Amino acid sequence: MVLSLLLACPLVGMLVILALPKTAVRAIRGVAFVATGLALIIGLQLLQGFQPQVTAIQFQEHVSWIPQLNIYYHLGVDGISMPMVLLTVLLGFLACLASTTITERHKEYFALYLLLEMGMLGTFLSLDLFLFYVFWEVVLVPMYFLIGIWGGGRREYSAFKFFVYTLAGSLAMLLGILALYFRTGTFDMIALAQTGHTFDLAFQKLLFIAFFLGFAIKVPIFPFHTWLPDAHVDAPTPISVILAGVLLKMGGYGFFRIAYPIFPAGAQAFGWLMASLGMINIVYGAFVALAQTDFKRLVAYSSVSHMGFVLLGLASLTPEGMNGAMMQMFNHGLITGGMFLLVGVLYERAHTRDLTAFGGLGARVPVYSAMLIFFSLASLGLPGLSGFVGEFLSLVGGFGAWRWQTMVSVLGVIGAAAYMLKVLQQVLLGPLNDTWKSLKDITTWELCSIVPLLLIVLALGLYPLWLLQLQDPALRQLIAHVVGH
Amino acid sequence: MSVLLAESLQAWWPEILLSAGALATIIAGVWAKRPGPAALTAWITLAASAAALLSAPVPPASATFFGLILCDPFSLAFRWLALGVTAVVVLLIMGSPEVPQQLRGEYLGIVLLVAVGLMLMSEATHLLVAYVSMELVSLSGYVLVGLLDDTRSAEAALKYLLFGALASGIMLFGMSLLFGLTGQLAFGDIHRAVAALDASKTAALLVAISLMLAGLAFKISMVPFHMWTPDAYEGAPIPVTALLSVGPKAAGLALLVRFMTALGPAWPSVGPLMLGLTVLTMTFGNLVALVQTNVKRLLAYSTIGQVGYLLIGFAVHSRLGLEALVVYLVAYLFMNLGVFACVIAVVHDTGSESLEAFRGLARRAPIVACCCALFLLSLAGMPPLLGFFGKFLLFGSAIKAHLPVLAFAGVINSAIALYYYVNIIRLMYLVPAVQTRALIPAFPLRLALVICAVGTLLLGLFPNTLLSLVGAVTSVNLL
Repeated sequence: MVLSLLLACPLVGMLVILALPKTAVRAIRGVAFVATGLALIIGLQLLQGFQPQVTAIQFQEHVSWIPQLNIYYHLGVDGISMPMVLLTVLLGFLACLASTTITERHKEYFALYLLLEMGMLGTFLSLDLFLFYVFWEVVLVPMYFLIGIWGGGRREYSAFKFFVYTLAGSLAMLLGILALYFRTGTFDMIALAQTGHTFDLAFQKLLFIAFFLGFAIKVPIFPFHTWLPDAHVDAPTPISVILAGVLLKMGGYGFFRIAYPIFPAGAQAFGWLMASLGMINIVYGAFVALAQTDFKRLVAYSSVSHMGFVLLGLASLTPEGMNGAMMQMFNHGLITGGMFLLVGVLYERAHTRDLTAFGGLGARVPVYSAMLIFFSLASLGLPGLSGFVGEFLSLVGGFGAWRWQTMVSVLGVIGAAAYMLKVLQQVLLGPLNDTWKSLKDITTWELCSIVPLLLIVLALGLYPLWLLQLQDPALRQLIAHVVGH
Repeated sequence: MSVLLAESLQAWWPEILLSAGALATIIAGVWAKRPGPAALTAWITLAASAAALLSAPVPPASATFFGLILCDPFSLAFRWLALGVTAVVVLLIMGSPEVPQQLRGEYLGIVLLVAVGLMLMSEATHLLVAYVSMELVSLSGYVLVGLLDDTRSAEAALKYLLFGALASGIMLFGMSLLFGLTGQLAFGDIHRAVAALDASKTAALLVAISLMLAGLAFKISMVPFHMWTPDAYEGAPIPVTALLSVGPKAAGLALLVRFMTALGPAWPSVGPLMLGLTVLTMTFGNLVALVQTNVKRLLAYSTIGQVGYLLIGFAVHSRLGLEALVVYLVAYLFMNLGVFACVIAVVHDTGSESLEAFRGLARRAPIVACCCALFLLSLAGMPPLLGFFGKFLLFGSAIKAHLPVLAFAGVINSAIALYYYVNIIRLMYLVPAVQTRALIPAFPLRLALVICAVGTLLLGLFPNTLLSLVGAVTSVNLL
């Protein structure tokens, strides 16, 4: 029941907000805080009761939904979904705190925001393909509105592009789900994973491609990444955080949960493709980020680069690589989430994101600068911070399996250092631009949503075992399952 | 003989009540010169007919009305659909200021007559009844389209009439060829005769089938017989457009299914043709809808696209396909009529049929806009709405029948269609309103909106009830 309770938090919150009058802004915000806060508390309790060494699905809920088609309301968590659920409830709460920057149409905003959180949680919790698809799509609609109404710049265009790209991908996935169902008569991911290796190779390859399209667009994998910079740049700050922090992980999670276990032979056959695309993502993302002058766009392209490590680690099919990929997803959510919050803080004050317009802010806003330096260093993979661990493990795993792809990928790490240091230099160092003489430093309220991320990034960098032991048994079982057949 | 007649009448109470009620409604409208009594009569008629349908006896073993019609579970589903469409359309007419007060009685009466025709179409197992019922629907349709006192309505009615008469003629010609080939008129006899038909007459048979298909294709706006649709939809009063976009499509598909069951032995040669036309219909409808700026024309092309999806269920020629077809028709009823309810509210308020009239609707009428977005997303096939579930079954039936090309076409079309459906949502939510005055639709419209929204959402979340009802419908012999 605890997982349904987790899903119910944002849903009930949304319904309460819909019932409130639209002028009761404080009440609406309060309900949203409570709903996301409760979800966070339940998530932490889940972690307490979770037994990492047990590789089976835990906290299962299995209720018949559409018996004629063998569809179940089937929820559960294991070592693969647990970190994602934690990431979602954490960022869901922090981005809700950061949503005080929203100044209009509060009722609609928070209702859609909570619907979005429910969709994301449902995606990570469901173990029935039909249910998974429903939640996967439920995420799209609120995201479209959140970017389209509260965004900036070319928000309508970006929101629509996001919608169409992702829907096109999910439709390919829908065909895959249907083909799978008529072959096996079930939507149960666990049962499918057990029978997956009996499918012939051609079928596995075909369906792997169908699901790949759905997940690749979400991750996003080159060449399907073009929606991402637009959507990230034009989304309001809290939504950028969710988009980068959680939504991209839905694609990565799909590979771990569906594409790899159900089509093991297909996954192995396309290992070279995954590794090569991962390499392209890493290097291409880094170099494009290097060329950006818009702060937010730069962070967006750095996401493309960072998500490449997930692919590389996945393709390696080694415990190091898989652990690295999974950890990279978690870290990227924290670090990029923090980066977007910081970009938002600066934009709130300066109303520009043009990197060349800044300079010398280091002395003017010391606390903000410290934060920015911290997250930039985490992003470029400084040892001692969590970003390093994930990338390092991915590269170690990848090197054994895909040597030259990994060697090229290392270039991306250098690129990351280049563009992140460029940001620090252009924003914080140099002579102070007179325009920013009276720029105010970061407020305590804004720190509230950033400091928790900072602490976790530091803690995981110093003691990564805490996360690794959560996911390692499940990942080892997955590797044995994929490679064993 | 008299036992048979008594049994027939017993099974046919809903239609009898509807026919009598339709005439009474027209008389009440003409007599009272105000819409109140006519509307009351219409509602009583609908309620009585629904009650009769609910208590309709288990289908009699013998063929009702001497084998002319068949009151089987399959037709029962379509009779309920016809009643549902009619009930919502009556609400739309009552809520639409476009239909003049003194004409409402006639409008309501003719709409009820259309319902009788729709029911008959789904029950027909005889070429004669099939033709007569289609003509009943068509003739009532011409009148409904042209009843308004303006040139656009008259032009639309004339176009509709000319195309319709041509299609009827072609179909009649096809029927006469079929009769010449087989010497039979009842569907069951035709089935046996076609199965025993000489191989040398196959070409002639195909010509006959194609000609008959042309007539039905006209009714359901299948490409290439769709030309009348946008013009008639644009000129007709919006409630009539709503009726035409759902009612005849459902009944036409029912007749098509029964028709092709009768001509079953010829399916191998007709199948590929249907496959091509299905893909063509949805692609054409969706592509042309992309460039529309008039909301009624847009919905006309969207209807053609939706008919394309529906035809998947027919083209796969399987039980699952039939099931999917019926489920999607139920979904289509709710979502399409719901959209039309929103269109009536907007067009009446702004006086404009352009898409721009939807600008900023979310500010002016949050609930209407929210419902409208729900219907549009359902039409686009977003879960967890009923439209998604219907599409899921349709595409599934295509994959199960090893016709992945249909599923591919459906998926690509869904992505295309998203553009114009979301465009309306964009106008409602993302674009500021021209005027900020609140928009409050009339009570019947609000009721229609709520009914359609609840149907779209709840049946989408819990489709198991619907599915078990539909399962019973499609498991029967259609002849």
